[in-house]
Amino acid sequence: MDISFALTGKGYVLIAADTTAARSIVKMKSDEDKIKVLSPHLLMAFSGEPGDTVQFAEYVERNMRLYHIRHNHELRPPAAASWIRRSLADSIRSRKPYAVNLLLGGYEPRERTPHLYWIDYLGTLATVPFGAHGYGAYFALSLLDRYHDPEATLEEGLATLRRCIDEVSKRLVVSPGKYKVKIVDADGVREVEL
Amino acid sequence: MNTFAERFSVSGSAAEIRRAKEVIGEDDDFTGVMWGSAGGFGNLSKGVPTFSVPSVPDPTDFLRLHTDDHADPSCKIKIKHGTTTLAFRFQGGVIVAVDSRATAGSYVASGTVKKVIEINPYLLGTMAGGAADCQYWETYLGIECRLHELRNRERISVAAASKYLSNLVYSYKGMGLSMGTMICGWDKTGPAIFYVDSDGTRLKGDLFSVGSGSTFAYGVLDQGYRWDLTDEEAQELGRRSIYAAGHRDAFSGNTINLYHVKQDGWKFIGNYDVSEMHYNGPGGTGGYGYGVRVEGRTSANPAS
Amino acid sequence: MARRYDSRTTIFSPEGRLYQIEYAMEAISHAGTVLGVLAKDGVVLAAEKKVTGKLLDLSGVKDGGYGGSGEKIFLLNSNVVAGVAGITADANSLVNYARQAAQRHLFLYNEDIPVELLAQRLCDLKQGYTQYGGLRPFGVSLLYAGYDPNYEFQLYHSDPSGNYSGWKATCIGANNGTAQSLLKQEFKEDMGVEEAIGLVLRVMSKTMDSTTLGSEKLEFSTLTLDPTTKQPKAKIYKPAEIDALLQKHDLGKKDEDTEMRA
Repeated sequence: MDISFALTGKGYVLIAADTTAARSIVKMKSDEDKIKVLSPHLLMAFSGEPGDTVQFAEYVERNMRLYHIRHNHELRPPAAASWIRRSLADSIRSRKPYAVNLLLGGYEPRERTPHLYWIDYLGTLATVPFGAHGYGAYFALSLLDRYHDPEATLEEGLATLRRCIDEVSKRLVVSPGKYKVKIVDADGVREVEL
Repeated sequence: MNTFAERFSVSGSAAEIRRAKEVIGEDDDFTGVMWGSAGGFGNLSKGVPTFSVPSVPDPTDFLRLHTDDHADPSCKIKIKHGTTTLAFRFQGGVIVAVDSRATAGSYVASGTVKKVIEINPYLLGTMAGGAADCQYWETYLGIECRLHELRNRERISVAAASKYLSNLVYSYKGMGLSMGTMICGWDKTGPAIFYVDSDGTRLKGDLFSVGSGSTFAYGVLDQGYRWDLTDEEAQELGRRSIYAAGHRDAFSGNTINLYHVKQDGWKFIGNYDVSEMHYNGPGGTGGYGYGVRVEGRTSANPAS
Repeated sequence: MARRYDSRTTIFSPEGRLYQIEYAMEAISHAGTVLGVLAKDGVVLAAEKKVTGKLLDLSGVKDGGYGGSGEKIFLLNSNVVAGVAGITADANSLVNYARQAAQRHLFLYNEDIPVELLAQRLCDLKQGYTQYGGLRPFGVSLLYAGYDPNYEFQLYHSDPSGNYSGWKATCIGANNGTAQSLLKQEFKEDMGVEEAIGLVLRVMSKTMDSTTLGSEKLEFSTLTLDPTTKQPKAKIYKPAEIDALLQKHDLGKKDEDTEMRA
């Protein structure tokens, strides 16, 4: 039931994820943060099997931190994406796979480029200008095909993201209430209000 | 570089031990070191404690085959299910309230179950799902919390204790554990509640209810909840919410156990009979039951 | 008496020394010189070949392969070239290990291995051989010339003990003391790669025992950025290219026949 969206714009990546934690028909919590800050320029939205999501996200988080400590620099977004993909690809071939879908957004200060990756629990990795997981994808992808602009300013990007959220609220039967939105750009990572 | 030591040492003491293990058929590599960096942290250094699972190809299938009373009402083992538990944080601490009914299928196995597990004087755990699973692992959690105190000269935080439990149950994910629990207590950060279940989910929050009757409890609880409830109001809200579930949910009921956690630890407030609450209320202050509450009142409006 | 502390790498001498390591270092100081200079837009590596002779079959070196005789300079990955000094057989084993480590990194991260990380990987291995019983250390020092997007051009040196360090210009092997002091005098900050090539050849010609430089005694390579793709480009010179380079810098063999005729 988790829903997440992400899109790139001129020099930034925006990632949004709903904040609902549900168990069967009950909302257990409505302010859960499902976007991890992996490093000063890397964000990851995670969704999927309860339990696996947080465990896998924390596993990735610690490994990114370890790489930073060992080698005095953070992994660049493409390398981080490859490593995460490899972890999931190994995982699905193990006895107990992680069932986790991800949106990985990063910014490379050296090349001044935003990076966005769509990753699923099977170990599929795709470089995308925008992406979505969960039921939200069925509404948002067509919308983003129509409205996404790679050169959008932050205001325009946020407006497009708002369109996605509004559409899901309007049409999806069991739409979640609130979303958390985070941005990564040259200044690093921060949360933004929609 | 350990691979080096292993690959090339054929005469060292490590190799001796290895050979000895092969002879006696011991495959547990875990050594109970009492010194060095892993001293006294045997379990931690190994990740999670070990626990034998049935020696069948798929323990989950095995368990389901013999315990699923929905699919097969004549199954050999009926796990005790059906519960209502709740806990909430407010200005005066944490209120924990639970029912006391244990059902096995449609049979009420017990009406006097203690569903609040007293982990230590500052921590309570609630019990929903498999009674044995909750009882065993929360008692085990109590042991680990005590060891934490001895090793670190301070009480474990609620966050850490609940994380320990969630990592523990996560390591058994898919093997048939069934638990939905709230770890409640008071630490340096004040009152805290964490919801932990056997999926491995762990949530921090102000208000949770778990079990088959949780929807009924939520109905009363959410509507009556405020942060600045007085102690008495909060206790009344907890009691009323469990009563509501005990009344409406067939798998919950009998009696209510009520606890209040404050800065100096938890306190048992009392045990209340659901029927008694229905007709008379606590101390005969007025029954909670709908019929009792609206006695003599009517929607007919002859005046108009 | 000395034997007690010589025979095993794992044992300290009473003076707190590890003799086997020191012997390995000694072996390297007799090996062919390897010299590296870091420029602002590239790295230059040169090495002195010891195995020479009229009867040596070098037909495989002249064409085919990526250049180099396979004695001193190796391509470890598309972004790293290494020069080795010491026991060539040991070096081959290390080069193979390094190439595998680089491929492993590519497999896991889908990027070229950072230069320092590759040096670390080899040093972890080398260190292991100074500690675990019954094994002798690798009798090899290496110079790594490499590029990665994080720190751009880099030059590292690693020794048999597993120590490594980064340099602007350095030298290992025979006469390394002389070469180091020459480099110290002549090195200039923000040299271009062309200038660095001149410096390397000059220092090499002064340190090597032989009077004249030639492709039969020299291996040479550069690492630069491809101007169009912005990707690192390693070039290991073929014998004919080395001779041409030497001629260009007036360090090549005088054409004896011409001299005779004159």
